[in-house]
Amino acid sequence: MGRIWNLVSTEARIELRERFALAGILLYVLSSSFIVFSIWRQLPAREWGLTFWVIFLFSSLMAVLKTFGRESEGRYFYYYTLYHPLELFAAKVLYNAVLLIFIFFSLWFVLFVMAGNHMVRGWWFLVTGLIASVGLSILLTLISSIAIKTQQNASMTAILALPLMIPILINLLRLTSYSLGTTPDQNPWNEVTLLASIVSLVTAMSLWLFPYLWRS
Amino acid sequence: MQNPSQPTKPSSIALWKWAAIIILVYVFIAGWFVPLKPGIIEASPDRTIAGDQLILAVKGYNSHFMKDPDQIRAWMRLKGDTVIKALHVEVVDDRHLRASFYIPSVFPIKQDAYPLTLILDHPTDGSSVLPNAVFVTPAAVEDPAEMGLWTRDKIDHIHKLEGFRYPFRNILAETIRNTYFHVPMWFTMIILFGISAWYSLKYYRQGLIIDDNISTAFVKVGLVFGMLGLVTGMLWAKNTWNAYWSWDVKQNMSAIALLIYSALMVLRSSIEDDMQKARLSAGYNMFAFVLLIPLLFIIPRMTDSLHPGNGGNPAMGGEDLDNTMRMVFYPAVIGWVLLGIWISQLVYRVDILKRNQ
Repeated sequence: MGRIWNLVSTEARIELRERFALAGILLYVLSSSFIVFSIWRQLPAREWGLTFWVIFLFSSLMAVLKTFGRESEGRYFYYYTLYHPLELFAAKVLYNAVLLIFIFFSLWFVLFVMAGNHMVRGWWFLVTGLIASVGLSILLTLISSIAIKTQQNASMTAILALPLMIPILINLLRLTSYSLGTTPDQNPWNEVTLLASIVSLVTAMSLWLFPYLWRS
Repeated sequence: MQNPSQPTKPSSIALWKWAAIIILVYVFIAGWFVPLKPGIIEASPDRTIAGDQLILAVKGYNSHFMKDPDQIRAWMRLKGDTVIKALHVEVVDDRHLRASFYIPSVFPIKQDAYPLTLILDHPTDGSSVLPNAVFVTPAAVEDPAEMGLWTRDKIDHIHKLEGFRYPFRNILAETIRNTYFHVPMWFTMIILFGISAWYSLKYYRQGLIIDDNISTAFVKVGLVFGMLGLVTGMLWAKNTWNAYWSWDVKQNMSAIALLIYSALMVLRSSIEDDMQKARLSAGYNMFAFVLLIPLLFIIPRMTDSLHPGNGGNPAMGGEDLDNTMRMVFYPAVIGWVLLGIWISQLVYRVDILKRNQ
């Protein structure tokens, strides 16, 4: 655990040293919200939820894109001798999850300021966001570890990850419409169970496959 | 899979390939040419008021009303044994007849409107049913004495049509034959993707490049079958749901499944190194196959859907797949799966030949 923490803090320090990275994500969130808002002019509850996840999806793709691109090849070779691949994976996932949670809160804040508060069950939206951040972070970390080995890293991450994100996204949208009160559905536990099982499926597959994919 | 370096005699087609050919020829002949049972296409008017005379113009399908016109009987069924028998049935021609009923002014159950099911019985055509043929609006004045009319008659001595014929279903009609083509496409796709994932697992364990080639061939052919499944499904949807694409969850999820596997092919084409390509696509392939299960089998079942088997609709079996259809449907599944495996084998061999050139 301490070793994973080391990796995470190294990652964070590199990130913070390059101020533009975090600020870039924030800017991305802000400008996409502006574009969407200037098209819609106003966001009723249902559109609020949809807009939120569309922006979240693309911001998270952009944020995770440089997961494995930041360090040089040599650094990874060095890591490979020091750490077990799963430790590296756990560190990257943790760090990405924090990034996604950061995106989640800043996007929530931005849309809150721009389009007002439509939340009926705010706590449920918070839970949804946390599950989403963890689940998507695991999925995106694995996919970007595949995509980094190809020639077109950026487009490949999107091509591989977007269709795989849809099963998660569908449940996120349902939970969101529950927290926005736009669905007559009074029992969100079905969706939570399904979402949790998909996320655990993704987690199990990632833990199994990452050491294999990483070895090269 | 045979080693391609050993020359194989072109005349030696394995037994299972002959089986595939024979089964599919049978499926095409039986699937296209076996006629449908007689049925009712429509009845008009489709709404009336209780306590009034109703003369129903009935349009038959594949029917022979002119044969024994005196023995045709008609009923309007509310539920179970609660029926009204036609007072008089007048045959116009083989496809048209007029049945006159008296709808009682009082009903044994209380509703805003009463859907009645039309049932016809004919000595040679057998019985045919049109669900919810007429909607009856309650009468302004109810006469309790007419309650007895509902239990006076019974549906009895129903004739059964013998012979090898597919059932006539409203809305589906002739498109019921698509069962032998649309459904097996998905069975085949899933099985081919499964075999592909299995060979990816083999590559993961043993690292032989040959397993990667086999796995890729199965994905390619599985994709083709998936697209055929989508296209046949869209044609069916146009005829039954009245739109090629209605954003039904089953349609969406299967399109996404195809996107995932197309992404795998894009991934393969973007890597130069063969070993790298094999390892990454093996990993992604297994990952994709596992995620396919919630996508195709769990999410559609939890959502409202028009598709059979989802959102509370009955799946295959029940009324839609009777014993006659089973005799074609099960061979069809086996035949298409065998054909898929056969094509995959050929694709794999061609790939090997191309690479060795």
